[in-house]
Amino acid sequence: MTILRTSMRNFVAHKGRMILSAVAVMLSVAFVCGTLVFSDTMSATFDRLFRTTAADVSVAAKEQRGAQQNGQRTAQQQNVPASLLDTVKNVEGVASAHGTVSTETATLVDGEGRSIGPTGGAPTIVGAWGPSARKQFDVVSGHAPRGPGDLVVDADTADKKHLETGDRVKVIAVPGTFTARISGIAEFRTTNPGAALAFLDAGSAQKRLLGKGDVYSSLNVTVADGVADRTVKKRVVAAIGDDYQVQTKGESVESAGEQIGSFLDFLKYVMLGFAGLSVLVGIFLIVNTFSMLVAQRTREIGLLRAIGADRRQMNRSVLIEATMLGVVGSVLGVGAGIGLAVGLMEFMGTVGMKLDTSELTVKATTPLAGLALGVVVTVVAAYLPARRASKVSPMAALRDAGMPADRRAGRVRALVGLLLAAAGGAALAATVAAGKVSEGWGYLVAGIVLTLVGCVVVGPALAGLVVRVLGAVVLRVFGPVGRMAERNTLRNPRRTGATAAALMIGLALVAGLSVVGSSLVASVGDELDRSVGADFVVRSDKPVPEAERAVKSVGSLKHVTDMKMVNVKLTAPDGGTETTALTATDPTYTEDVRQKTLSGSLADAYGPDAMSVRKSYAVRHGIEVGDRMTVEFLGGRTAKLRVAAVTADDSSMGTGATYVALGTVERYLDADRLPPNVITFAKAKDGEADAAYAAVKRKLEQYPQYMVRNQADYKQELEDQIGQLLNMVYGLLGLAIVVAVLGVVNTLALSVVERTREIGLLRAIGLSRRQLRRMIRLEAVVIALFGALLGLGLGMGWGATAQDLLALEGVRVLEIPWPTLVWVFCGSAFVGLVAALVPAFRAGRMNVLAAIATE
Amino acid sequence: MSTAVSTSTTGGSGERTAVAARARKVVKAFGTGDTRVVALDEVDVDIERGQFTAIMGPSGSGKSTLMHCLAGLDTVTSGQIWLDETEITTLKDKKLTRLRRDRVGFIFQAFNLIPTLDALENITLPMAIAGRKPDREWLDRIVATVGLADRLHHRPAQLSGGQQQRVAVARALASRPEIIFGDEPTGNLDSRAGAEVLGFLRQSVDELGRTIVMVTHDPIAASYADRVLFLADGRIVDEMADPTTDKVIERMRTLSVEDTSRTEAAGSEQ
Repeated sequence: MTILRTSMRNFVAHKGRMILSAVAVMLSVAFVCGTLVFSDTMSATFDRLFRTTAADVSVAAKEQRGAQQNGQRTAQQQNVPASLLDTVKNVEGVASAHGTVSTETATLVDGEGRSIGPTGGAPTIVGAWGPSARKQFDVVSGHAPRGPGDLVVDADTADKKHLETGDRVKVIAVPGTFTARISGIAEFRTTNPGAALAFLDAGSAQKRLLGKGDVYSSLNVTVADGVADRTVKKRVVAAIGDDYQVQTKGESVESAGEQIGSFLDFLKYVMLGFAGLSVLVGIFLIVNTFSMLVAQRTREIGLLRAIGADRRQMNRSVLIEATMLGVVGSVLGVGAGIGLAVGLMEFMGTVGMKLDTSELTVKATTPLAGLALGVVVTVVAAYLPARRASKVSPMAALRDAGMPADRRAGRVRALVGLLLAAAGGAALAATVAAGKVSEGWGYLVAGIVLTLVGCVVVGPALAGLVVRVLGAVVLRVFGPVGRMAERNTLRNPRRTGATAAALMIGLALVAGLSVVGSSLVASVGDELDRSVGADFVVRSDKPVPEAERAVKSVGSLKHVTDMKMVNVKLTAPDGGTETTALTATDPTYTEDVRQKTLSGSLADAYGPDAMSVRKSYAVRHGIEVGDRMTVEFLGGRTAKLRVAAVTADDSSMGTGATYVALGTVERYLDADRLPPNVITFAKAKDGEADAAYAAVKRKLEQYPQYMVRNQADYKQELEDQIGQLLNMVYGLLGLAIVVAVLGVVNTLALSVVERTREIGLLRAIGLSRRQLRRMIRLEAVVIALFGALLGLGLGMGWGATAQDLLALEGVRVLEIPWPTLVWVFCGSAFVGLVAALVPAFRAGRMNVLAAIATE
Repeated sequence: MSTAVSTSTTGGSGERTAVAARARKVVKAFGTGDTRVVALDEVDVDIERGQFTAIMGPSGSGKSTLMHCLAGLDTVTSGQIWLDETEITTLKDKKLTRLRRDRVGFIFQAFNLIPTLDALENITLPMAIAGRKPDREWLDRIVATVGLADRLHHRPAQLSGGQQQRVAVARALASRPEIIFGDEPTGNLDSRAGAEVLGFLRQSVDELGRTIVMVTHDPIAASYADRVLFLADGRIVDEMADPTTDKVIERMRTLSVEDTSRTEAAGSEQ
């Protein structure tokens, strides 16, 4: 009991010293809780949305498996014949049924030629104003569509894009473009997270969106009271056969949830990555805090031991304090996490995703998870210092100085660290030697973990070396102040090591990822230069045939190559089957993208009933040029195709693609089953590149969903995409740095307190405030630079190794982003300066006499 | 009597004043209202140049406060203090720091040295801070005097308490300050080490011509001084030239008796 009371008093007495550790715990917990609350709220919002939109039972065309691959559509939208409606209506238990029209392939364009679709990845859905829409929407101004030419848009979109009733909107649909007038604005009854919606009258919707008057995109059934959805589903299937996909409300909600789930998961993992990093970095901070508290309290602990407290009690007393810190930090963290979730929702609002903060979903498990995480992490981090506390001998009460440094342990530790780092280095070397990506991957991960742990363990020993070198280079300039700063940093290498390690981790990650990122950009650029012969690339997420015809009508083009992804079931001669997507293009593709061919010729593969396979597939199934493959075109017929070429795997353009001529595909797949273009390549006639580029751009101006890129622009776009990914990495860096700065502040603040008398003495014998502050700033800078040096070195090693491994997949060029790394290094010095601000200010403000008199 | 003021302000040499430091009507009070405690009560004092002055008095008499104020470590509530011709009571922190650095030497009771610096670095620290080169010859002489020649590259933790204090004395002497203040410099030492340190202080006055002010409660330490000032209740109550241990003990005893009687008298008045 007494021990508990001492712990409590100590905790309260030293709350100032605990603040930064508490902040570290809080940040980690906040990220975890924020992530959970945010993703739970998103799930709940989508769930509510799908529940209101889904019919009791719905009938749609069977979705072809893999209709989306890497976001590219590999199948044409399929419809349900209108005649089916009467059959369904007559099924027992069906109260009512109606056909709906809805498509995500249309683009809405306002009067100034801009797309009014959402920018954040949410769909634009254009459909028919019918019973389903009436159930979900209220027309808040104007009126529902009454005839051809009328269009209703949802209120959120109208608001965002400043649309009013009477405005003209162009609808670019697959069957053709038409113009409609906004007759009314409708508001969703639940929260709509971001899709743009528009409605036409039923007849126009069928004709203009689906291209036929006698089809629907799906049939929605309302089930009679007292009958289960499942029962009706069964009867419907019995009535219409199993050529259609029939889903109950529950199934629809679930499958819709699964689709949105992958996006949610991505967000969730990114944020949990943030949380993990702050936990990792926070641990160092907590270890340091408790180490310093134990060191400062050595005499007190010795006294308690002398009067009869046993080792376990001392150990426990430190852990109790850690638990209290964990609880306080976690409780604050849970609160901050909810705040973070609200902030994220607001932020999503600015990028076009609407979430209602009043629908915040906090599950009971969220605060529990946060609390458990915070407490466990804190106690685990405090374990080592606690063990050290238990080792304090009763004699310490009588000794004047703090704990004697355990030199032997330091040497053992350095040795262990070196061994770990060496093992990591060996694993990285094994990665470089690996012949296959899948093989090297495990080595790479092992190498990264081992070198990281090794560096953390060897850190204190390394600190001595590196700080001396830094001292010789940087600190000598500052004379005695610099020398004292250097010595102070070296005074407790373990502390310096742990503080720097916090910074090291973040910087290592960033350096590694930015090396990989810029190598990727450089490799793709290199590959583009070498293998792309096409002058332009035309792409759209919502392709329409009309626009493709427009491109082909440009006179200054030599040729235009369409590329489609087609779903097939491949059967190799050895009997192995695989469902995959073929890359179907015009034969001119060989001029647009030069592919390395290992045997046969790609031009032959574009012949009738021929195809190519990639090397790894050929090796796996023992295929050689001349063998015959059985190819079942999903939704079409089965073909026997001759293998005419084997292509290389290691290319960053069209990696692992299996090629076939569009002409061949057309023979086995009906025109209405043919998927839209994924990408279109075009080559200009000699000397007319600029004119052709301008002409293609002009032609596509009225199709804002299309993008035209020449090689330079395409390269830039790729760079921008990777740049965006790197920005996320820098966000991660930002967070890691915040926690690492907290660590440096913490270490400095605590060591300033520890050195109060020394500072008093220095001031007494004439060290000016400015010099004192400079000394502390230099200490911080040295710690930061040490961490940066280690982190950047480590990260560069990781990045280079990863690039070497990825060279097998086409990342052939190693590009080290020196400017970025130099900036980060210099930035670290700045970070040190910032971290030293408060501790230096406080040290400067100390009263000289009081400082000297401190016990 | 609250003064220990010599009549002339110029010494025999004529070049500089014979007084290294003086205080006039110095009051130092802590707190306000009911909790107000007067540590120094209108103290006038002159510290003569080239002399070893000891300040004595019972605990709470204000002797340390007086030294701190004279040394520019502490501010005064009212009154004036001069170091040579510089009035330090009006100086701001920056100038005061420079004054301590360039013109004053310190020896504290304990924790005199920076643990990360070796003995030599500690000795030359004030000059290093000032960015001045130490006078090699002078430094050698001091090091030889305090007998540390073979210990110069030891860290404080590797030195005994007596050696540490000798390093502190050497540091106080090294920059040739006008005046050296010692705050119970032998308080933490055994009698032999203490005698050693006091011997060096005496030597540095006699042979190196330094001015030293030392606060102590040890009559033996005081006996090394040229002159002893006695403080009680924030006032200078007596001074003694050429003190001996016995004379000081005698004076201190009467001082505590006076002290007690006065307290009792004050108590009976209420």
